[in-house]
Amino acid sequence: MPRKFHGLKKPKVRQDWSKENLYNLSRATIPTAANKTFFQQKWLAKSITRAYHNPHVREGTWTRMFDRRLPAVVPMNYRYLARHDGSELASGRGSGLTKLSAKASGKGRRGDDERPPEKTPYMHMAYHPLERRLDTAIWRALFASSTRQARQFVTHGWVKVNGKKMIYPGYLLNPGDMFSVEPDRVLYATGARKLKTKSNRSLQHKVEPRPTSRSRKVQRKSDPENEESPDATATTDSAEGSGSVDKLPDEYEDPKQTMKALRLRARQILDESKTKLSGKRQQELRLFARSVWKLLSKARGEDKTKSKFIIPVDESVQDLEATLGEIIAKIPIDDLPKEETKPADGSNPQARADDAYTARKEAELLHAALARAQENPIDARKPYATPWQPREYMSAFAFIPRYLEVNQNICSAVYLRHPVARPGLAEVPTPFHAETSALAFNWYLRRR
Amino acid sequence: MPPRIHTGRLPQQVPAQCVPSSQCVKAAQHGPARSFHASSRAQTRLRRSMYGWLNGPGAVFREPMKGSTNYLGAYDKSGKLARLRLLKRDAEENAEDEGSKELETEASIVQQEIDQGVSDEEREIRAEQRAVARQEAQGGANGENPMPKERRSDLRPYPLNSNFRSQRVLSEELREEVYRLVAVKGEAVSAISARLGIDMRRVAAVVRLKTIEKQWIDEGKKLATPYSQSVLDMLPKTPLVRGVRHPYPHEDINDLPVHPRTRAQLFYPTSESRQFTREDAAKVFDSSLLPADKRIAHPQLIQYEKWALEDLPREDQQARREKIEQKEKAQKEEREREEAAWKERTIRSVPGRRWDFVFQDISAENVGKDGRGRQGVGYRYGVPHQDRKRGLIKIPTRVE
Repeated sequence: MPRKFHGLKKPKVRQDWSKENLYNLSRATIPTAANKTFFQQKWLAKSITRAYHNPHVREGTWTRMFDRRLPAVVPMNYRYLARHDGSELASGRGSGLTKLSAKASGKGRRGDDERPPEKTPYMHMAYHPLERRLDTAIWRALFASSTRQARQFVTHGWVKVNGKKMIYPGYLLNPGDMFSVEPDRVLYATGARKLKTKSNRSLQHKVEPRPTSRSRKVQRKSDPENEESPDATATTDSAEGSGSVDKLPDEYEDPKQTMKALRLRARQILDESKTKLSGKRQQELRLFARSVWKLLSKARGEDKTKSKFIIPVDESVQDLEATLGEIIAKIPIDDLPKEETKPADGSNPQARADDAYTARKEAELLHAALARAQENPIDARKPYATPWQPREYMSAFAFIPRYLEVNQNICSAVYLRHPVARPGLAEVPTPFHAETSALAFNWYLRRR
Repeated sequence: MPPRIHTGRLPQQVPAQCVPSSQCVKAAQHGPARSFHASSRAQTRLRRSMYGWLNGPGAVFREPMKGSTNYLGAYDKSGKLARLRLLKRDAEENAEDEGSKELETEASIVQQEIDQGVSDEEREIRAEQRAVARQEAQGGANGENPMPKERRSDLRPYPLNSNFRSQRVLSEELREEVYRLVAVKGEAVSAISARLGIDMRRVAAVVRLKTIEKQWIDEGKKLATPYSQSVLDMLPKTPLVRGVRHPYPHEDINDLPVHPRTRAQLFYPTSESRQFTREDAAKVFDSSLLPADKRIAHPQLIQYEKWALEDLPREDQQARREKIEQKEKAQKEEREREEAAWKERTIRSVPGRRWDFVFQDISAENVGKDGRGRQGVGYRYGVPHQDRKRGLIKIPTRVE
C-alpha cells in the first residue's frame, strides 16, 4: 500500500470513486516521451497503469497472470453471411471488387456503410486477466466504492459466489458465476456518509440550507392557481409533491411532515366528499385523522425530552399507511371525466361527484408516496445516511461493462464471459491512452 | 555550548523580553508567527487548485444529472456540457425545413433498400427500428426532458481513452419482459435473444437473477430499490419498446471469437478459377477450424435469411423453422439422456451422514508418460504434491 494513495504531486489514477481520484482523472495527460528512453517510457507506463489495475496484487503474481494473447471478437452480420460465401473477397484482381470490398469491410448494421472498419484496440486489453478477480468484478458491478472496499467485503464474508460464501478476493470468476453482496453493505458503500453516528443526516448536504417553512409559504402564495384557501393549497401541494419525482427528497425528509400532510389529506377527503361518502367511511376517516394527530403529539412530547422520535414514528407510518389504504379501497369509484377539477361547489351535483373523484385520486397519490417512503425509510441505526441517496461524485464513475449482468435490486451480478476487444471498443475499462497501454503491455512481454 | 549568533546579523530593536534565539529572529523577519497546530496547516497550492476545480468545473459531478449520464467526457474544460453547445449551434443552423428533410431521408433510405434488393419483411423491420430511434431522439430533444440525448463521445468516463465508453444496460422493464417471455411464457432463449438483440448468456443471466428477485419478494426480504433506481438513473439504458416485434438491438449477438490460429498471416496460393469460400479459408488456417457461419452464436439466422432470399412463401419458411427447432430439441434431449446414462453407469454415489461419497472409475494410464498428466489421480511416486508447499494459497478455482 503506497503511502500517498491520492497524492497530488505525482497523481495516480486509482480504482475508486473519491473526489481526489476524480480530480486526478480530470487532469490526467499522456506522459511525455520526448525526454525519455524507450525503457523509461515503458517503466513509467507500467507504473501508472499498475497503480490503477489492482496494485494490491503483487507484481510477481500479476506477471504470472499476464497473457500476451489478448481476446477479441468480430461481430458478424448474418445477412451478409447469407448473401456471400466469402469468395467475393477474392474476386476481381484477387482482393475483391472495389465496390463490394467497401461493402464487405463496412460490416456495420447497414450494408451500405462506406466507413473503413474500426480498429480493434487490443492494447487496452493488457490487464484483462485482472478483471476476472472477484474484488475487481464487485467494484465494476457498482457494489463497492473502490476495489479496496470490495476486497474488504470479500474477506469479511459479505460476498457469496453461486450462493456459497467466498472469502478470497483473488478468486477468479468463471463465466456463468453469480456473485452477490449483502445489500446493506452495498447501500453503505454507495450511499452518502453520515454526519454523526447517532443521526441519520447526510454529510454531503450539510452545506446547503433547507428551505424554511416561511419561504415555502411565500412560494405557495405566489402560485396563482391555488389561492382559494390556504388549507386546501397546502394539502394539494403535498399531494403533488408526492406524485412527481422531483419533490421526492422533500417527502422523505421528515416523517413528521408526511404525517401532517396525511392528516390534512384525510380531513380534506372528508370535507370535500361529505355528501358522497357514507357515514361509516366518514367515521373511519375521522378516526384515522385523530390517530395521526395523537401520534404527532406523542412525537412532539418525546422530541422535547429525548429528541429520538424518528424510529417509532417511522414504524407507525407503515401502520397508518396500511389503514389509509384500506379506507381508500372502500371509497366508491366514479366513472366520471377527470380532466376538469373545479373548485368545490355544493350546489352542483356534477362538481360534487368530481370532488369525490379527485379526493380518491389524491388519496391514492398519498398512498403511493407513503409506499415509497417505506421503501427508503429514515433509520438512524443504519451506517449510512437515510433516506438513502447515492454518494457524491458517484455518477462520474457509474458504468457497468458488458461482461457483467447486474441486478441491482438483489445486489447480485453474473459474470457472463471474459472481457473482449471488439472493433472500436475494448471492454476492459482503463483510464489510459492507447499509447500508455501499449507501452505497459510491452513491459510485460518478457523481452524488454 | 550556546548557539553562536553574530551580533551584526541581529536586527536593531530586539524586544526586551525576547532571548536572542534563532526562532525569535525568524518571527521578527516574517511578520506574524505561524500556527503550530497541525489542523490549521496552510493548504498547499496543489490542494487549493484541487478544491478550486471541485468547486468550479467539477461541481457538476457532485450530484447525478437528472435523466442523463454524467461522465467526464461529456464536459469541456470549463465544466459546460459539450452537447448543449452543439445543440444550440444546430438549432441556429437548421431552424426550418426539418420535417421535410427527415421525410426525404426516409424516402431515400427506402429507395436504397429496394435497389439493394432487401426483402419486404426485412424492410419493414428496418423501418420500424428507424422510427423507434427517431422517436427516442425526439423524446430526448423536446419531450418532457429538455436534455438532448448523449452522443457517443459523451459516454466516455475516461477522457484519455477513446476506445472505452459506457455501454447501455437493460432497463428494469426490459428485464421484466425477458423474464416474462422466458420463464412464464416458456419461449426458447435463443429465439428471445435473436428477437430482442440480447446475448443468449445475458438472457439466461437476467432470468436467473429475476428468479431470485421474485423469490426474495415472496420471502418478504427487502430489495435494494432506492439503490437500484438511482444507479439505473445514472446509466445509459436500453428501453423496452412495446408494440414492436423487432426493437433496436441491445448488443451484437453474433460475435465471432478471434481464433488464435487465424492470428497468423498466411500466404496460400490457389487457382484463379477456384471458388475459394470461407469454409476453405478456415481449413487453410486449421484443418479442424469451422467457418464463421458455424462458429457464431445464432447460425440458424443465416439459414432463415437464405430461405427469405430464395423467396419461399412465409408458411413454408415457418414450417421449415419449426422442423429445425424440433430437431434441435430432440438432439438436446438425446444428449441429456446419454449423459444421464453415462453417469448412471460410471458414477456411484453412497450417501453418508454429512456428505455423499462419490466413486468414479479412473484409469492409471491417465497420468501420461511424465506422470504429471492432468487427468491423473492420486499419489504418484517421485511426483510430490504442490499443495503443502509454503506460500501456495489454495484458492478454489470454481464454485458449483
